[in-house]
Amino acid sequence: MNLRNGKIGIIDLSTGESSEEDFAGDVLTEGVPRELLEKHGPDSIVLGTGLLTGSLIPASCVGTLTTGRHTMPILGHAGIELKLTGFDFLVLKGKASNWGYIWIRDGIMEFVEMPESPQLNSWQRTEKIRSDQGDSKIQVLSGGPWCDAGSPAAQLVVDHWGGEDKVGMGAEFGKRNLAAVAFRGMGELEVADPEAHFEKSVALMRGHLSRLALNKGLQSYYEGAAVDDFVSLAHRYIGCYGCPYPCRSYLKTEEDPKEMRLMHKEPGYLHYDIPALEMATKVGLSPRDATRVLVRCARAGAEPVAVMAAALASSAHPDVVSIDALLARHDDIRPASKGNFELSFPALKDYETCLGLGLCPRYWAKVGFDIGAISSCAESALGHKLM
Amino acid sequence: MNSQKEDLDLRLKLEPVKCIACGVCEMVCSMHRDSVLTPMTSSIILHIEDKANYFGLVLKTKSEGLVLGRPEGASSGQQASGSGGPGAKPILLREACDLCDGHPKCAKICPTKCITVVD
Repeated sequence: MNLRNGKIGIIDLSTGESSEEDFAGDVLTEGVPRELLEKHGPDSIVLGTGLLTGSLIPASCVGTLTTGRHTMPILGHAGIELKLTGFDFLVLKGKASNWGYIWIRDGIMEFVEMPESPQLNSWQRTEKIRSDQGDSKIQVLSGGPWCDAGSPAAQLVVDHWGGEDKVGMGAEFGKRNLAAVAFRGMGELEVADPEAHFEKSVALMRGHLSRLALNKGLQSYYEGAAVDDFVSLAHRYIGCYGCPYPCRSYLKTEEDPKEMRLMHKEPGYLHYDIPALEMATKVGLSPRDATRVLVRCARAGAEPVAVMAAALASSAHPDVVSIDALLARHDDIRPASKGNFELSFPALKDYETCLGLGLCPRYWAKVGFDIGAISSCAESALGHKLM
Repeated sequence: MNSQKEDLDLRLKLEPVKCIACGVCEMVCSMHRDSVLTPMTSSIILHIEDKANYFGLVLKTKSEGLVLGRPEGASSGQQASGSGGPGAKPILLREACDLCDGHPKCAKICPTKCITVVD
């Protein structure tokens, strides 16, 4: 089955027992998580990958996490790593009796107890899981104290960074005693015509780049990142899997942004959360202080727009210290309603179709969501027409 | 840094500071060898220390051993000893770059020209 594994993994958190189902799906991801929720229970959590996730089509990096009525994208290298674990979808059922995380690799999924997780912030959880499993390339969707507490303004972080979870998915983890989901993809995906897929994907990417200005990371997508105080802290831009025109700018606040050697272990933060930066501007934070606030929110598993909105409500001039103090009060902070990637397209339908395909909505909104060109590329990989 | 000289008189040149860690070089390298998409058998490996935003490339060559494309600069002549993790196929056991029979795919698909072909 080209670009698919043909397998759904299911694990019951209450017993730790896992099972598998066949997935006969050259179909879009869109719709599948809902079907799985109907089958396995509406309180389940479904992780998924798009039909084209992991292909050579530009920005084919997306996975998804769905529960209830909400879906968040999974970006960076996490989407493709998830697909290369050997599963197309994963269903997490029930509630664990003890704190722990789901560990997925090589077609295996298991629940690993981590009783100390409530004492760890999200960054410490990621580091511990990578250390315990002995692989720094493990991708981790991690909760933090706000998630554990079930705060409606909780946010999962993906490999240290926040920006995907604007729908309170972090609280869903906390309610299930789930500290994190970790995975490492070492599998492979078959392709119908590798040479054709390569050539068509390169042509598609080159066509996009020929129409775009020189990439400047987040500044290429958000004019607020063009201010001098932001640009002066910029270290390097980094793309998600397969993205030729990244929207991620890493700002260094704890050492010289021009330092290229590996020196400080935590020198800054990776920015791609546009609503958070907009709110930081509204609050009056400099890019340096905004970066420091986002670090603290990510560690806590707190959605930064909600945190900064609460700070603004309680003080005319909030600063890093007062916002830091707010992070101890997760119970009475309301969630923000503004999405990040969700707002890439004017129409929600296009956003959902992008996720279903496994394509980044921000990139494809930028270059024009040309389903015909995507189909041509996809056909060379799938061996049949897209739709 | 000129990383390789083959019979074809082509070389891969790495300019690691241009890398954006998109990872497609790994995928197309493996696809060239095995006709499947996976980063596990590539001659080129993306190394990332994500929290510090430190990332670069490791290329296994026939003539110069490992070429390390660190952000602070590239160097060659390293012995093959690292791995992509405990379950990943170590670079030591991977095949060296064969320049895709004269048309290196990694260089062709690299969006930032971090990897280029030179005579």
